[in-house]
Amino acid sequence: MFRFQSLDDDCTLEEEDDGLIEEEDEIDQFNDDTFGAGAIDDDWQEEHKRLAELDERDGLGAGSGAGSGAGSGVGGGGTGGGDVSSSAGLPSSSARVPLPSSGPPTQDADERSGGSDLAESLARLILDADPAIAGVGAAERPAPSPGSAGPGLSGLLGLDQPRVLPQPPSMPHQHQLPPAAPAPGLPPSSMLSYQQQQHLLRRGAAPLGQMNSHSIWESSMGFGPLSVSPGLVAHMEDSPLMSIIKEVGLPKRPPPGRSDEGLDLSERVPPPRSSSPVIGSPPVRAVPIGTPPKHPMSLNHQIHHPTAVHVRAPVQHRYHAPFPERLSPNTLLNIANSPLCRGPFPPRVGPVLSQLQRAQLLNSQVAGFPRGGPGPPLLAGGGFRPFFGGPPPPHGHRMGPPPPHGPPNHTAPIRHNTTHLHPQHRRLLTQRMQSRGGDRVRTGLDRRSRDPYSNLMSQKEKEWVTKIQMMQLQSTDPYLDDYYYQNYYEKMEKRQERERDSSSRKEHATKLITPQVAKVEHTYRPVQFAGSLGKLTVSSVNNPRKMIDAVVTTRSDDEEKREKQVWNKRRQILYTVEKMYSLLLEVQDFEKRFVQTPEEEREALLEQHKANTEQLCSSLQEKDWEDRVSEDQCVMIMAVRKGKRLVARLLPFLPAAQAAAVVMVIARNLPALAKKDKQDQVLVCLVEPVSAVVQSLSSSALTDLLQELQGSDGQLAAVLQNKFGVTLLYLILSEGERMQSSDQDCQLMDDNRWTELVFSVTRELLSVPSSSLSPPLFTPPNLLSLFSRYVDRQRLELLQDKLQISAASR
Amino acid sequence: MNYVPGTASLIDDIDKKHLVLLRDGRTLIGYLRSIDQFANLVFHQTVERIHVGKKFGDIPRGIFIVRGENVVLLGEMDVDKPCDTILQQVSIEEILEEQRLQQQAKQETEKVKMQVLKDRGLSIPKADNLDEY
Repeated sequence: MFRFQSLDDDCTLEEEDDGLIEEEDEIDQFNDDTFGAGAIDDDWQEEHKRLAELDERDGLGAGSGAGSGAGSGVGGGGTGGGDVSSSAGLPSSSARVPLPSSGPPTQDADERSGGSDLAESLARLILDADPAIAGVGAAERPAPSPGSAGPGLSGLLGLDQPRVLPQPPSMPHQHQLPPAAPAPGLPPSSMLSYQQQQHLLRRGAAPLGQMNSHSIWESSMGFGPLSVSPGLVAHMEDSPLMSIIKEVGLPKRPPPGRSDEGLDLSERVPPPRSSSPVIGSPPVRAVPIGTPPKHPMSLNHQIHHPTAVHVRAPVQHRYHAPFPERLSPNTLLNIANSPLCRGPFPPRVGPVLSQLQRAQLLNSQVAGFPRGGPGPPLLAGGGFRPFFGGPPPPHGHRMGPPPPHGPPNHTAPIRHNTTHLHPQHRRLLTQRMQSRGGDRVRTGLDRRSRDPYSNLMSQKEKEWVTKIQMMQLQSTDPYLDDYYYQNYYEKMEKRQERERDSSSRKEHATKLITPQVAKVEHTYRPVQFAGSLGKLTVSSVNNPRKMIDAVVTTRSDDEEKREKQVWNKRRQILYTVEKMYSLLLEVQDFEKRFVQTPEEEREALLEQHKANTEQLCSSLQEKDWEDRVSEDQCVMIMAVRKGKRLVARLLPFLPAAQAAAVVMVIARNLPALAKKDKQDQVLVCLVEPVSAVVQSLSSSALTDLLQELQGSDGQLAAVLQNKFGVTLLYLILSEGERMQSSDQDCQLMDDNRWTELVFSVTRELLSVPSSSLSPPLFTPPNLLSLFSRYVDRQRLELLQDKLQISAASR
Repeated sequence: MNYVPGTASLIDDIDKKHLVLLRDGRTLIGYLRSIDQFANLVFHQTVERIHVGKKFGDIPRGIFIVRGENVVLLGEMDVDKPCDTILQQVSIEEILEEQRLQQQAKQETEKVKMQVLKDRGLSIPKADNLDEY
């Protein structure tokens, strides 16, 4: 194979290694292909150099001729860096350390000058080139070594690839740095590339002097698996070689220089994904969702910021530290002494700062400290600053006289954003705060000023949390969401108005205006490309794809049908009841809403209200006969517990005629309803509205009602057994009596119906056994006088006893 | 009252000494350093206070992060007020010992009760304090 030929060409110690080579043949093939001696192909080398030089140094041009390793290093570094080296173009080329022997002299000078930039560029390199991206980038590039299998390993190590060692063996050391070196401060010298090691191994050369590279390699982490053959291992006596061979992946340890400052945890962004475009999904977030933002965002910005549709993963942007001048308390305390030796709660977080420091602190506060306070003692003041001074609304409230050593830049009390509160509420709050502000301020300040751990939560973070909490309070319908608050203050306003009415007309009662957020529909629409054929078949959390097509099939079983019909009917009734209820609620709330809405919209509201009431009425009516109340419908509705309640609430809103009709229906069907109501016992809720209706009935209507109640034979008995029935009966009778006694020319006595009906009632009442007589909800007082009209004394007394009505009964 | 007037917020409680009772019955006392929208709390220089009878003991615990859903109640402690006039502070070992004894005594009474009930053919299922699962 040509590789070995070339090796043989270069190698002078080949005699020794023949056996070795054959053994390692298969194993090292792999490695060779990727970055080993296989890269010694001259042609490749030259091409590489040319490309690289085109890329980077136009001026150089030289170095191609010799075909020496040094020159190849440039090219190698060039492509090996790829995008990496584009940003840190220097390292690869400047990795060239002065070659002791042959080497293109032209490059030496550059290398030397480049050496100083090494640290910088490497730092940049590490910042920019994450292993993930670098790995991906490398994989994308065509593997320079010909015919290489190039699996993932090679991709990863592609960066290592261009390290080349075609040098004559007389070259003791090559100094090349891999483009993604672990630490910036690494001495550029004395690091052998992997290939070199392999090469040397093959030759069985003694480890070269400058093998102190192992120190770096050993400490690096992130090893990729490399199956090292036992044979190979056996020959590796040297630990540095071992470690270098083990080291296949790029070291992922961040350079030690970075961990000096107090890193905010939220800044520690996970490496950006080498992501394919994430289409149709929410935008990629490098920082977990719960993290507070580092740069300020206004409230509006957050609300109105449109959710962008991200076709590809967005560029990661780093958040800069909010308070660059702020040191962590740890560093602060390192200067002072540690409080840990004290108990968990030092009485005052006392003598942490020395006397001098404290004085400085106070001075700084008093003087209006300069920005970027010099030195840590002032930092407590600096960090403390946002606590006191600072931008308007959501901020520290300091009412009352400022404390003796408090910040002087703070004279006026800060006004909070209380626009959403009722003015009375606002007044109460300010009063409360004033009273509380005076005593608390001093001690609070004192303590907090001395606590080195205070203000760990920055101003921005506090605002952020507050913002979230306030956003949760925004509502589209405050009347609905905040019912009790609104109602309470409404009542208070009315009360005030009443009180004020007498006194002064000028003072208008302050009204509460709650800001409402517009209801915005946030529908998610998946990404669509204009002009493309077909849609992207992408399902994500927001638009899941239907996996199962559920089809409804009806079963053709007769009995089931019947059952279903019954169920359907019930469902229908329930549905009707629900719809009517919602209408009813709207109608009931109309008045309150009317007061709330501004003038312009009142017309519309009125219209809507009328429509609602009409709809309600019509729902009770028969389909064909507009004016009559549908009895069946009513009965069905009343059969349901909720329906009864519905009717009870509905009755006051119905027009008189309809209401009367409904009551008639109830009376007519009372036995059935009573039976159905046995479990629920809800009929009694109807008493009030029904009594209102009864009292508004005309005499003829009243008679009719009584007749209805009596209905067929035995109905009255059933009626009397039911509490509601008895109550209703009494109501009717009492109303009749009232009519008779109050209104002289009432028509109740015009025909004999009323009298007859009352007679039959009394007869029934007397005949019915006491046990089956249900006690009424209440007994109207004028029953006695009613009965006294129609019945003789004996019967009257009997009735009295039975019904327990007496002159003083209630 | 600091940032969101008219509502309750934990913002004003930051950097103050608090006492928090957790759902598992522990009592922690510490300086509240940070909160978030779920009322997760970060406590500093936390001390777990165990009460047994009139004695109590403090176990220093360091920094605690409490998930908001596990908080029963949280209240500010007045640093100035004289700590415990009736309660007597004891060492950690002692309080742990006391606690152990208390638990033991409770268990024994419980056992006796169960036995008595069993003899009479009754059984009362033990109410689980943990409301999960």
